[in-house]
This record gives sequence, structure tokens and C-alpha cells, in this order.
Amino acid sequence: MAQRIVIDPITRIEGHLRIEAEIKDGKITDVYSSGTMVRGIEKIVQGRDPRDVWAFVGRVCGVCTTVHSLASVRAVENALGINVPANAELVRNIMDAALYMHDHVVHFYHLHALDWVDVVSALKADPKKTSEIAQSISHWPKSSPGYFSDLQKRLGAFVESGQLGIFANGYWGHPAYKLPAEINLIGVAHYLEALEWQKEIVKVHTIFGGKNPHPNYLVGGMACSIGIDDASAINAERLALVEKLLKDAKTFVEQVYIPDLLAVAPYYLDWGGIGGGLGNFMAYGDMPTNGYNDRNNLKFPSGVILNSDLSKIHEVDPTDDAEIREFIERSWYEYSVGDKEGLHPWKGETDIKYTGPKPPYDYLDVEKKYSFLKTPRWKGHAMEVGPLARVLVGYARGREDFKEVVDSTLAKLNVPAAALFSTLGRTAARGLESLLVAQWGIEFFDQLIANIKNGDRRMADTTMFDPKTWPKQAHGVGMMEAPRGALAHWIVIEDGKTKNYQMVVPTTWNASPRDPEGKMSAYESSLMGTPIADPEQPVEILRTVHSFDPCLACAVHLYDEDGKHISKVKVL
Amino acid sequence: METATRGRLLILGLGNLLMGDEGLGVHFAQRLEQRNDLPAGVDILEGGTSGFLLTEYFVGYPTMILVDATMDERPAGTIRLIHPRFSSDFPKSLSTHDIGLKDLLDGLTLLGRMPEIHLFVVSIQDLANMEIGLSPEVEAVLPELERQVLELAQSLVSKVDA
Repeated sequence: MAQRIVIDPITRIEGHLRIEAEIKDGKITDVYSSGTMVRGIEKIVQGRDPRDVWAFVGRVCGVCTTVHSLASVRAVENALGINVPANAELVRNIMDAALYMHDHVVHFYHLHALDWVDVVSALKADPKKTSEIAQSISHWPKSSPGYFSDLQKRLGAFVESGQLGIFANGYWGHPAYKLPAEINLIGVAHYLEALEWQKEIVKVHTIFGGKNPHPNYLVGGMACSIGIDDASAINAERLALVEKLLKDAKTFVEQVYIPDLLAVAPYYLDWGGIGGGLGNFMAYGDMPTNGYNDRNNLKFPSGVILNSDLSKIHEVDPTDDAEIREFIERSWYEYSVGDKEGLHPWKGETDIKYTGPKPPYDYLDVEKKYSFLKTPRWKGHAMEVGPLARVLVGYARGREDFKEVVDSTLAKLNVPAAALFSTLGRTAARGLESLLVAQWGIEFFDQLIANIKNGDRRMADTTMFDPKTWPKQAHGVGMMEAPRGALAHWIVIEDGKTKNYQMVVPTTWNASPRDPEGKMSAYESSLMGTPIADPEQPVEILRTVHSFDPCLACAVHLYDEDGKHISKVKVL
Repeated sequence: METATRGRLLILGLGNLLMGDEGLGVHFAQRLEQRNDLPAGVDILEGGTSGFLLTEYFVGYPTMILVDATMDERPAGTIRLIHPRFSSDFPKSLSTHDIGLKDLLDGLTLLGRMPEIHLFVVSIQDLANMEIGLSPEVEAVLPELERQVLELAQSLVSKVDA
């Protein structure tokens, strides 16, 4: 007998993602992913000064604010043919690198770890044994028996007080949790250490962007002046702090995040065969080393992989009307061209037409429209975007840095390359690219210092800042690799104003509903066939969906009544 | 995040500016920033929808006054002052700042790093999407909210001075 289960909301951070899954004989046989709140920021920025749009769209999300601001200024620069100075590009890269390390560490420990780490089990750990394990996997200094024993006592008091709080949403004691108590305790310890650490790395954004959250960007460059001896500019003291923060972050990634990832993975190798999904991957590429317009010199290369075939890379062109299109046949919108046709984002429309059930409801009518996410396609293909896509594209392009981290990890875990196409592979890829980004961040910093020492302090090109210098009409696209995946903003400028604006964000690619041909997007595809031990506690669904790092705030807007995972189970 | 000029008390306004009344805390912080007669040692921050990004402030200030909107079915504009200890003591929260902020509060409790928190919540009726600005009912209570927040801020700062 088939059961339908509903998990709503499923995100642990921003957003309102709903998964409805049908389960038969202990496996998912059909699944629908829905974003249940509309975004609409595209409407807010219409008619506004293109130079101001970054400030609005940045506020779509409080977690990865900087990515939308960067995509926005790049879209305007692309439309107007502005090339930003090398220093501005480096500062953007450094801010991006800092964001990656922040985002990925926070995702691993605070958003994903509790799908794998049993907090309650940590209370049973032997602190001495925990210390031995910790010291065998890393040189990280906080690893004494006393350290783990103290933490265990505080955790015990917290749990006894009835305040499971952050940990209340886990399925503690579920048979799918496989870690020894000692590794669970290490996980909890690093959950808390990561919480304290993450406040440091974001200071990079306050130094270059003036504030955090929502640092400042500028069309044409960055709004921060370099002045080594100037008290109010980016001076030697600030730069020294940036260097320290980047180095400390690299240490945290190398000595805490990656060892933990490698310590947890061997207990969950079965997840190297679950949750693979589409096998189609797309990256726009990012972190330019020779200017954003040189698409061949990107730290994260661009490209498309189809059908898990790593021997062939396809090129992606977001300006080509025939490549990227968004469909709405299964989404609560209407297009002037009807429901069947897709629109390239420059011609994109954001006209909401909700036809779903009136809340509160038990089930969506999944045979009709069932999401506020549109469905983007590349040449008609559904695409997975994110860390796994980036790592696979770098690997398939034969880049040595990617090959080294991927091959050494596969060897350490003693798994074949096929294990990359999985929930475990996705979670591992996020860690592996963090290792690369940690190194690149320091390279970008060293280059910035070298430029300054050579007397180059240019941070912005403002020759095109005055709208009087602009053409009557211009089209631009700003691409970037947000931590969650390929992100692009498309702008149409007319008479100095924003005529049309469309954002196609990573979670839209991954979490969107079916397309007019009935093809699933990444979330739905990856959940098909997933084994579910207990439909009342579907931790398996959370593992795979969380492996994408869902962030529905940018995919849709959100609405969260009480912040709890709600799992409704009904026999069909 | 300027440490050199940091005061002893932070007034933190939370909310989503793009969702009508939900942005109350942000509107309030912006309103306070216009004043030039704040008690010495009091800082103001527009916290927006951030969760973990606010850690620096929670561990950096010994005392905080939080201002947030809540949808608790009380009449719109109802002002309440509460003193939450754990994240579960917070009122039913609204939108984007929900889980990140609660995770942060519990994490800080476990780390023994929680500051003294005074939370002003203002009841709202609805979330208005894609709208910047407050409804008349909520807008009308801003002067009273400002009076209560500043009165508390003054007494908290004087207590430290004494």
C-alpha cells in the first residue's frame, strides 16, 4: 500500500520548501518538490535605477546576501560594457571566498550534520576515547579528554532542562544514525566551535563592504579605497586582519571540517549509492583571475555535463535565447505566451497566478501547478547546480587542483568515482571545494597586496557611472557561482531605468517542479527510489534534500509559522 | 562591527524590510538612528533577517534590547516586553530570521555566552509581500515603542554606570 508523506517546511534555514513523497514497499516511488511562498523581488526593482538594484536584491536572503548583490552589479556592468579594475575583482573574489567558507562550514555543522550526528547519543560517549579519536584525525588543539567531558556535562544539563532547542528537530535514536557515540560528541563539539568561528570570517565583508550583513557593492568596482596609512581607508592594519581571517579560516577547514567529513563518511558509505538524481550538472564558473569577461581563466570553470558523462563538457551561454529558459506550466504564474512555452530571462515575466489549494491544506494538487518556483532548463535539460556540479566540471575539465582533492578523497574512502553521483558525493564535494577555495582566498589576497605594492590602487571604473553616458537600451547578464550553485541575474535597461529584471537562482534549478514534458528537476529526481525505514521519521529525505543546501528564501519567499519540521503521514 | 566605538547596550531591530509590517524592527532601528539624543553607550543595529551573522553582536554586548514583530493573534500594535531564556521562550516567530536566530541563541546558551536579553515584540496581523512600509495600526505605536525602549535603555545604562 502506498503512503504519501509531507515534510513542510524542510529547510533548516531560510525558506519554505515542501516535499510530498509517495512511499511503497519502503521506497519513494513518486515525489513532488514545492516552494510555497512567492518571491517577487523582480517586481520591486522594475523602474528603479540599475545602479541601486544590487542593494534591493541583496536583501532577498540574509544568509548569502552578497551573491545577489554581486550578480546584480555584474549584470549592469555587462549591459554597459564596464570592465572593473583588477583590485575590485580581487576584493570581490576574496569576499566570495570568505562567503564560501562561512556558508559551507555553517551548512555542514548547523544545517546538515544533525541528519547524520545523533546529539543524544553523544551523551553516552567516553571523553577519553573521544579525545583519542579526535587526535588521530586532526592536529586541532581542542581535543583533550577534559574538553570533551566539560562539553558533555553542559550538553547533558541542556537536554535535562527539557530545552532540546536547536536539537529538537532531529530524529534521535532512529536506526539510520550509525556513528559511534564518540564521533557524535566530536560532531556536537565542532557544531559549537563552528558557531563561534563563523562570526570571525564574515569580518572580511565588513572590512571591504563596510558592513555585514548586506555589504556594499558598486557598479564599476568596489566602494572601498585602499590607503596603506589612511585611518579611514583599507589600510595596512585592516589588510593584516583580512590575511589573518583567511588563514584562520583555511586552518578551520583543513583541521576541523575536512577531518570530520572524512570521519563521518565511512559510516554512511551506502549513501554513496543513494540520491544521485539527474546526472546533468551545470556551472557558470566564477572567481576570475584575468577579468570576469575572460571565461577561460576562472578558478571555478564553467560547463555542462550530461548523463554523468565526464568525458564531454558542453559550453553554456546565458545570453543565448535558445539555451536557458524558464517554464511555468507547473508553477503558479502565467505567461503572455501561454503555459507550454519557456521564456529566456531577458524576456522573462513575473505574473503570479495562484491556483493552488487555500491554506491550510493537506496535499497539493500535484497534477496541476504546484510551486512558486519556475522551472529553468538548459537546452531543454534539467540541471543540478551547486558544489557537486562545480567539482565535477573542474574534474572533467582535467584541472589538476580538482583532480587531486577528488582522487585522494575517493582513495581514502576506498570508493569508486561513481560514488560521486550521490547524496554523499554532494556533501563531500562541498567540503572538497572548501579546501580549494581556502587556498584560492590566500592567492587572491597575495595578488591584491602585490598590486598595491606596485602602486595600483584603482578600485572602481566610474567613466560609465553617469546614466547620460548609457545607450537608450542595453541588455546584461551577471553570472556567479553562489555557494549553493549557479546564479544569474538578467537585466534590461531602458532610458536609464530597469525595464526588466529576472533572477534564476540555484535553488530554482534544483528544487523546481516538473517541466511541460513531465521531466523532474534535481530534488525530485534525486529522491526517487530512496529507501525510507520509517515513514513517520523520514530522515532519509532530509539527508538528500539537505545535501543540496536548500535556501528557499531566494528561490521563493517564505512563511514559517513555528519553525518545526512537520511530517504528515497518511495512508493513500 | 567597529569595536573601537562599541557601547554597552545594543538595540537590535529584526525583520524583513520587504514584507510590510514584518519589517517593523528594521523601521524602528532606522527611526532611532535619526535621533541625536540617545543615552551614551547605546548602539543601534538594523539586524534584518540575519541569524548566525549576528553572533558577533550577541557575544560582544553584555546587554541587548531586541525589537521584532510577531503574529500572535493579539490586536495589531500590541507592545510586549519579554525576557526569553531559551529559544523556545521566543514568541512564535515569523519569517526569514526564524531558525538561524534560534539556533544561534541555543548555541550561545550551550557555550555559556548568552547576553542579557530584553525583547520587545509588536503584534502584527499579516505579512505583506513585496511591500516596504508599515500599516497604520503598527505605524501608530512607534512613538510609544520608542518611549518604552528608550526608557529601558536609559535604566539599563544607568544601572551599569551606578
